[in-house]
Amino acid sequence: MTRNNRTFSMLGGALAAALVLSACAVPAAPGTVRQVEVTREVVVTATPEPTAPKPFEGQSINVLTIQPHAVATRALAKWFEEETGARVQVLVVPYANVTEKAILDVTSGAGEYDVIEIWYPMLGKLVESGVLEDLTQWWEENKESLQFDDFVPSIADPYTLIDGKRWALPYDGDTHLLFYNRELLEKYGVKPPTTWAEYREACKTITEQGKSEGIYGCAIMGAKVPIILLSTFINRLQGYGASFFDADGKPAINSPEAVAALQELVDQLPYALPDPKAVAFDEALGGFTTGKVGMVEFWTDLGQMSDNPEQSKIMKKWGAVPMPKGEGPNAASRPALNAGFALGISTLAQNKPLAYEFLKFVGRPDINVRVNTIVGGLDPTRKSTFDAEPYRTHVTPELADAAKAALSGAFAWPTNAKWPEMQDVLTENVAEALAGTKTPQQALDDTQAKWLEILGK
Amino acid sequence: MIGPAVLTLIVFSLYPLVYSIALSATDSQLARPFREFIAFKNYTDAARDALFGNSLVLTFIYAFGVTAIETVIGFGLALLLNRESGPTRFARTLGLLPFITPPVAIAAIWRLIYDPSSGMLNHYLVRAGILEQNVAFLGVPGLAMASVMLVDIWQWTPFVFLLSLAVLAGLPHEPYEAAAVDGANGWQQFIHITLPLCLPGVLIIAILRLIGAMKVFDLVFMLTFGGPGSSTQVASFYIYKTAFQQFKTGYASAMTIIVIVILSVLVTLLTALYRRVQAKYGP
Repeated sequence: MTRNNRTFSMLGGALAAALVLSACAVPAAPGTVRQVEVTREVVVTATPEPTAPKPFEGQSINVLTIQPHAVATRALAKWFEEETGARVQVLVVPYANVTEKAILDVTSGAGEYDVIEIWYPMLGKLVESGVLEDLTQWWEENKESLQFDDFVPSIADPYTLIDGKRWALPYDGDTHLLFYNRELLEKYGVKPPTTWAEYREACKTITEQGKSEGIYGCAIMGAKVPIILLSTFINRLQGYGASFFDADGKPAINSPEAVAALQELVDQLPYALPDPKAVAFDEALGGFTTGKVGMVEFWTDLGQMSDNPEQSKIMKKWGAVPMPKGEGPNAASRPALNAGFALGISTLAQNKPLAYEFLKFVGRPDINVRVNTIVGGLDPTRKSTFDAEPYRTHVTPELADAAKAALSGAFAWPTNAKWPEMQDVLTENVAEALAGTKTPQQALDDTQAKWLEILGK
Repeated sequence: MIGPAVLTLIVFSLYPLVYSIALSATDSQLARPFREFIAFKNYTDAARDALFGNSLVLTFIYAFGVTAIETVIGFGLALLLNRESGPTRFARTLGLLPFITPPVAIAAIWRLIYDPSSGMLNHYLVRAGILEQNVAFLGVPGLAMASVMLVDIWQWTPFVFLLSLAVLAGLPHEPYEAAAVDGANGWQQFIHITLPLCLPGVLIIAILRLIGAMKVFDLVFMLTFGGPGSSTQVASFYIYKTAFQQFKTGYASAMTIIVIVILSVLVTLLTALYRRVQAKYGP
């Protein structure tokens, strides 16, 4: 109810009350004048100061984002709207479909999206497909506000660079840490592992003793979804010091180290939350946050989820360590850039100036801190965010340091235009190895042969 | 008035088909259609593609399996509930719920039911002593296919049931009266009258279901993503992956045309069978 309405109501009420009272009153003696007092509320409203018009008032853009980042992207849209007056429509799709949506939007000529979220291994394919604006000049023009050097070095180029040009802005700095349930590890006398062999043994110990109570040593995400399955495999691939390509750029996916990494993964399966081949994001997350799982390789924002009373039974009972390493001369604890997202501008953007402005806003260091202190599905992309007090308080200093260390030395997936096809072949063969229909050696030999064919080598 | 109908047919049926055939003869990518004419290379590649061959085999296993089970259960339920009463009407209404529920919602529900650690199915099977420990229904190669098929059966049996009721409702009364006069019992009436008279109708229902099951995609996408290994990677899902994960639309179109041809041959054979059955048992 507005103030004016309220005033009228009160006045009306007072008048009505006065009439009723006067009707019920004792009649006055003849010759006397009866006075009725009516109290009235006087409302004084100040004349509003004229506010300066916002720079993009009345304009709008569409942003294509993935479902796990819906909360963060909507928050950014709201903050951008408050600052500029522009309206940001957030369009959410499943992460598995974001690349095809972006390509189809441009090739069909629809031009529905101005800003597009990019899973970084798809960058080369999107550039080849003519979906993305070249942002090289924009980066140069805005280098002072964007502070490129502040982005974590291991992600800055993989997320943005193709053929010497920049096409995107880092958005979600994803990597894995090994999370563990402190209570469970203590209960079963197990220490957080530093090697994959220790991990397997720890997993085995807990599972063998706890399975009857529904407790498992680890959850391994082995569902046949590229982003899920390959993250799991590449964690081990890196631990053994293997790589996708050799020094000459020739595929090396069936190297002894790679085969050993896949063999290790297969050997771990019997002790994991059943059945790893059907365990994806939700199952692993649920298993860990309900306290049924001792260890899980997961994205760094699991820390926030584990301390969320609405979804976790293990608040403050967890820890995180870097990825274990494998065996052999090249073994190292080196995490992979699993998942990882950037933002780009569509070549068919209807409002390019505003799309550039939105990217500039998202790229600001203060915004990076702000968006990473809500539970929105993002992880920092800037070094300064890891050191920022609000972020450290939000995720705990230990996790902030562990995530920063992990991201700093992380290994990037390939981003060339042929990678989508190569990735599918690798996913298919790793899935076969996990299902037992191929040996690790056979699976990776088949992948190698197919990769050579795809690359024409 | 035939003009608009023909135009609609051309726009919505013929154009996509011609477009797909044209695409299948080129080395097309999602972003670059009709890049290079390569004639039948996509088809020869498909013929050599073991994964595509495997996906076709799995499609047949899936489609014939669920069709047979759904037809038997659906028709059986129709025979049981082919009478007018309160409980029967309630059962019919209840039975239609899976049929009208969106497939994505169904898959999400069943994913929870199958969950190896907290799923309802494991809970009750272990409690009943049928299972010793929890099983990952969607994580074991043979079991995963059976589990996806079970969801399909749960979803589509009501469709068969409903149409079977319509078939039963259309049966003439005279043969039954004559049989009763001749002293035929219920079983004899079912074998010699009901079954032959219903066969053409039930066969049509089965053909419809088979065509639908050959195109299964949503359940596989939501429940297993083609895994574990490639044990649930049916043809439609493999084609989707080729087109939208590898972005090879030319090759995906060639595989689509192959599936269309196989389906056409299958439907032609089944239609011929239907005509023979209709001629023998039909009115």
